[in-house]
Amino acid sequence: MISRRKFLVLVTASAATLATGKALSIGDNGNEHYTVDLSEYKWGMIIDVDKCTKCVLDIMKKEGIDDIEKVRPPCIVECDKANNVPHSDKYYYSLIRLYMVKETEDANPLVFPVMCQECEHPACVEVCLTQASYKREDGIIVIDLHRCIGCRYCMIACPYNARRFLWEDPKELLKVVNPEAPVRKHGVVMKCEFCVWKIDRERAEGKEPKPVCVEACPHNALIFGNLKDPNSEVSKILRTSKVLTLRAYLGTNPKVKYKLWGD
Amino acid sequence: MGAEVPKIDFKKIDGSSPGYYAICAIWLIICLIGVYAYYLQWIYGEQLTGLNNQVPWGFGIAAVCYLIGASAGSLIVSALSGVFEKEEFKIFSRSAAFFAAAMIVAAMGAIFTDIGNPANSINFLIHFNPTSIFSWNAFLYSSYFVVCVVYLLAQFEEKKFLTRCIAVFAVGWAILVHSGTGGIIGFIYSNDFYHSSLTVPLFIISAIASGLGLLIPTYILTFKWTKREYDLDLLWTLTKIMGAMVILLIYCFIVEGFEKGYMPASHEAFLRMITSPETPEVYVYWIGQIGLMLLALAIMLSPFRKREWAIITAGLLVAVAVFCERYTLVVPGLSYPYDIFPGYEVVKPFHIVPYYPSWTEWAIVLALFAGAYLAYCIGIKIFALLPEKAVKIEKGEVKK
Repeated sequence: MISRRKFLVLVTASAATLATGKALSIGDNGNEHYTVDLSEYKWGMIIDVDKCTKCVLDIMKKEGIDDIEKVRPPCIVECDKANNVPHSDKYYYSLIRLYMVKETEDANPLVFPVMCQECEHPACVEVCLTQASYKREDGIIVIDLHRCIGCRYCMIACPYNARRFLWEDPKELLKVVNPEAPVRKHGVVMKCEFCVWKIDRERAEGKEPKPVCVEACPHNALIFGNLKDPNSEVSKILRTSKVLTLRAYLGTNPKVKYKLWGD
Repeated sequence: MGAEVPKIDFKKIDGSSPGYYAICAIWLIICLIGVYAYYLQWIYGEQLTGLNNQVPWGFGIAAVCYLIGASAGSLIVSALSGVFEKEEFKIFSRSAAFFAAAMIVAAMGAIFTDIGNPANSINFLIHFNPTSIFSWNAFLYSSYFVVCVVYLLAQFEEKKFLTRCIAVFAVGWAILVHSGTGGIIGFIYSNDFYHSSLTVPLFIISAIASGLGLLIPTYILTFKWTKREYDLDLLWTLTKIMGAMVILLIYCFIVEGFEKGYMPASHEAFLRMITSPETPEVYVYWIGQIGLMLLALAIMLSPFRKREWAIITAGLLVAVAVFCERYTLVVPGLSYPYDIFPGYEVVKPFHIVPYYPSWTEWAIVLALFAGAYLAYCIGIKIFALLPEKAVKIEKGEVKK
């Protein structure tokens, strides 16, 4: 029969072992293999709000849709398809969400597609318990699905409501699977990662990388490029145009900007 | 030292009556229902909860905050004799420390059952994010359990000086643990409902109130049912401490309410939260949080306040009210969306999403509470946690 003292000592020792094991693991982030050759890039995106507004309003008119949430422009359709994003009646999973905003009730509407803003100082990375969310050297915030424990603290911290939790098993909801993109299971968080799987491949192939939504946009409303390259289109637009940063006062410094005014 | 220290006889309970086994069986049944609910959640995912992508935290996280608070509150009660030299409360020191350990285990259980990918939960231990307050807390919670057990061990060994040292350390650690938990919510700067430096001290006050709210009825019923002589005046003193905490809490709610209502970015959402029945939060806030606290205060100020039933009722009301407070701390900030486009008058979609916990969430949370109480019932049977007599012992009265 185990004595009371021995029992307590055993319990204490077990808990202490766990606590010590945790403390010893500080500093091991295991992400080194992602960081090779990425420092010369800083990916960013500029979204032309006028073009997005025209595209979405045209679709709403043509298809007789009143609800902005039911509009599925090509950028959202292709993004979902390429990134294995399930479609469900119960939850909104698409990585891009359309918002319709007006200065006043009778003003003309503006449509903003909002996805992960790829912040320079990301709140999600700051709060992630397991460093599953991390920022690559090229500025893209990615989620390591093998590390994500599904605590959803990153969703709470995200200032742009840009993250989705997989409440259902996506495999049951996906009609087609893109083997190149991550296939997730239920219980983890996902977000727009600028189609990192495609960008990395195209960069390795010597092509000009573009996320799927940028390629799918028929109006050239989404401009993607390297902010560190002064000759890239995004850099040129940032030098010459006025752009809007969502919730700029928070200091997260997103790399997705919204161009509201014409050239 | 020199002065004679009153010695208290701690004894195991007999625990052979049908009543004892019936209570244990009730806790066990609730635990089993919770295990079944969690099994379903494991298989089918968190679609079985009432949560969604706008309200990704709910009942489970409210329970985490509550259980950690109750644990910290219990430990502070346990340390009243060791730290503050209130020797008359030494009779509670062992059982309250045990209760604190059981509650922190239940809190960790609440975290585990709330995460979506428990198969990866080992990552808690092997990957540490120094910028994440939650990551620090995972370390604080596990070490806090160790502190509780060591403190209990020191008490069993009757090492007075060591017990006092560990008690001081344990209270400091409990405050640290609970401050950290408050920071998980209060430091979220992206959400005006969450972001508040008042959350951290409010968590500490709530912790003491809820710890006492659970302990007071538990002690009275335990002493009654184990036929132990007890001094109601001692429990009345604890009730008065609880009352003071409730008054402080109400003061904090008023300050917080005015602050949220004062800020243009959040005043509309706050006013809707406290006035509109669009979500159940209005009822939880007015009836659960404010109403129950005022009712408990009314009982504590009434002419019947020193009666046994009044003390039990006040304790239970405060315990439930603090849970409602945790709920209104976690959920409304998510149900009422924050403004991504400040400056624009019309923003669509702008959904106020009501959140209703599902039966699985209820079952899991109730099972965690039942588990803590089952551990307490078993603990008082196998360890000498309870005093033979729960009465004031004057200094100099040395028992053999």
